[in-house]
Amino acid sequence: MKPVIIPTPDVNSEHGVVVAWFADNHAWVDASADLAEVETSKAVLEVTAPDSGYVLHLANVKDEITLTAPVALLFDDLDALKAHEAALAAQREALKAEGPRASLKAIQRAEELGIDLSTLDSSHLITVKDVEAAFAAIQPVDYSDLPRPLQTKEGVQRVLLIGGGLGATQVIDIFAGSTTQQAVAVLDDKRDKWGSDVVGVPVVGGPDRLAALWQEQAFDAAVIAISTSVAARKKFRELCEKLGIPLANAIDPTSKIATGVVIGTGNVICAFCHFGFEAQIGDNNFFSAYNSFDHHNVIANDCSTGPGNLTSSRVKLGNQVRLGTGIHIEPGVELGDRVQVASGATIVRSVPADHVVKTKVVTTTVVPARSK
Amino acid sequence: MIFAKELGAALRESLETDERVVLIGEDIIDPYGGAFKVTRGLSTDFPSRVRTTPISEGAIAGFSAGLALAGMRPIAEVMFGDFITLCFDQIVNHITKYEAMYNGKATCPAVFRVPSGGHRGYGPTHSQSLEKHFFGVPHLRVVAASLFHDPRDAFRDFLSQNTPVLYVEHKLLYPQHMRLAPNGLITTREGSTVRLSAVPREDCTATVLAYGYQAGLAADIVEKLAVEEEIFVELLVPAELSPMDWAPVEVSAKATGSLVTVEEGTAGWSWGTEVSAVMSERLFGLLRRPVSVVASEKTVIPSSRAKEGRMLVGSPQIETAIREAAK
Repeated sequence: MKPVIIPTPDVNSEHGVVVAWFADNHAWVDASADLAEVETSKAVLEVTAPDSGYVLHLANVKDEITLTAPVALLFDDLDALKAHEAALAAQREALKAEGPRASLKAIQRAEELGIDLSTLDSSHLITVKDVEAAFAAIQPVDYSDLPRPLQTKEGVQRVLLIGGGLGATQVIDIFAGSTTQQAVAVLDDKRDKWGSDVVGVPVVGGPDRLAALWQEQAFDAAVIAISTSVAARKKFRELCEKLGIPLANAIDPTSKIATGVVIGTGNVICAFCHFGFEAQIGDNNFFSAYNSFDHHNVIANDCSTGPGNLTSSRVKLGNQVRLGTGIHIEPGVELGDRVQVASGATIVRSVPADHVVKTKVVTTTVVPARSK
Repeated sequence: MIFAKELGAALRESLETDERVVLIGEDIIDPYGGAFKVTRGLSTDFPSRVRTTPISEGAIAGFSAGLALAGMRPIAEVMFGDFITLCFDQIVNHITKYEAMYNGKATCPAVFRVPSGGHRGYGPTHSQSLEKHFFGVPHLRVVAASLFHDPRDAFRDFLSQNTPVLYVEHKLLYPQHMRLAPNGLITTREGSTVRLSAVPREDCTATVLAYGYQAGLAADIVEKLAVEEEIFVELLVPAELSPMDWAPVEVSAKATGSLVTVEEGTAGWSWGTEVSAVMSERLFGLLRRPVSVVASEKTVIPSSRAKEGRMLVGSPQIETAIREAAK
């Protein structure tokens, strides 16, 4: 095997483009025969065969190549050429079919702990932290060490919250003055939260404990207290449905629900929200404070909003719609499923499903106050 | 596809979609197609709107100003960015001032493409990154090409507005493949700033801010350090250098507590020092360490490639700074 190197009198270029091959792939060429033309930024270079042999092209016409690497290989016999070509193809395949990407330390740790890297989330580089979390997740949990759901008075609906973040604090606050509903337990994915409490409500484990607690009749209904991910809202609503767990509404007493409004289940409605005449609200939506959905609005399921959004009449929101904060929506506008709207937008026409409404970045300048 | 061809396609699209667009520059017509072959094929298809000029950057700036004032959309190639100094007066004193001087009644939306940067042994006057002299010029946008930004988006944007633009193209980008969705790094976009990291931001211990060719070098280092040593940093690649969109930088540096800037221009009175000044003010007390500014040595670029390699910012300088910043 002999490499064909491109002559490079052109010091200005490191790359060139193959313009033409004068010998077909696998063809026999004699020494000094014209092989190819390569164009650099300054000149067209002619490549000749340094020896005779069967030629294997390492680039196609129009390919950009490095001038310092061989552009072709010459073989004494065709079998050797074909074997080499097959090896190159296999190398390319191997690169493509590479396993999950992990740091060297993570690979080592996975071996120590017996974790199969291909079972981990590969949307980002797998790290030692991920491996150790995966290891912890398969360790049996002793739930007897964890707190029990709270007890309540007879006749009070015992509500279990899914998600122990800031959304949970809002729901617990909604129930604070209630004589009919009380949060009795929180479930959260994050193990470091287990055993602690959210505003006095114990975190009793992860979502995998949902079925067991329901079996034990430790609660009467669930509320999904996650406002940051509409995908998570949907996932947990479906899980509750599967387990036969009813979802409760958490409605702040300061909110105004007009005549004829129909509300599904599992909705979180924070302080000072307004739903106008005959508005229809589906299931499992999270409305932050000061949202006003005017008369005849229709809202589907699993949506989440920031505070302070205002809609005109007859506005429709599809499933899993996410609103930022301070958004105004004109009458009759329809937002399709999974639409996301950036804060501060004024929406004057409908948005199809799976679209994002962006707003221009409004920059404000913060300057120190002037001293007197 | 490689950057030079993508850029050529962006210019072709500009010519096709906007009949006000004209391309001017030295030797940009076929068969030569420009010193870096970016405009190859365009003069054949648009002979009246792709025109070669005399060897006079002053004339190129003057033609551009006149064409733009007359309602055209000139895109000028300055064969080597070093020669943009010959256009400096017309850009600073005329082209960027008309719109404000005539209260919006006149606009001068000229675009200057400047192939810049070194690492090719072209010596003192064909290797520089002179954009620092244009940062902060009122009513001028300085935008940097990178492998992480589709040049089509850039030119669509330039043609949709009236502010003059200096479009900085590092010469070493031309033969490289685009990296719009690079393997192995999480890529997200905030406006014209691209965010790249191996792991989510909360696990990153420093923010690296780099543009142009240096952004590609930094991305390789970010990936290498993550895979080999679990040193995690977040790389931000802005296209818009001046004026800057500070929000993504502020948010990221606040989260990681450490900031490094990288540029190929010479040190001092530079992009990095401005970033450092702004971020030090906005994040006073929130960073673990002072902002670190990586720039080239403050001297003339040597013709010797070995000496040039030591003087200009390259991978070794970037890696050292990132390691230090991530501690």
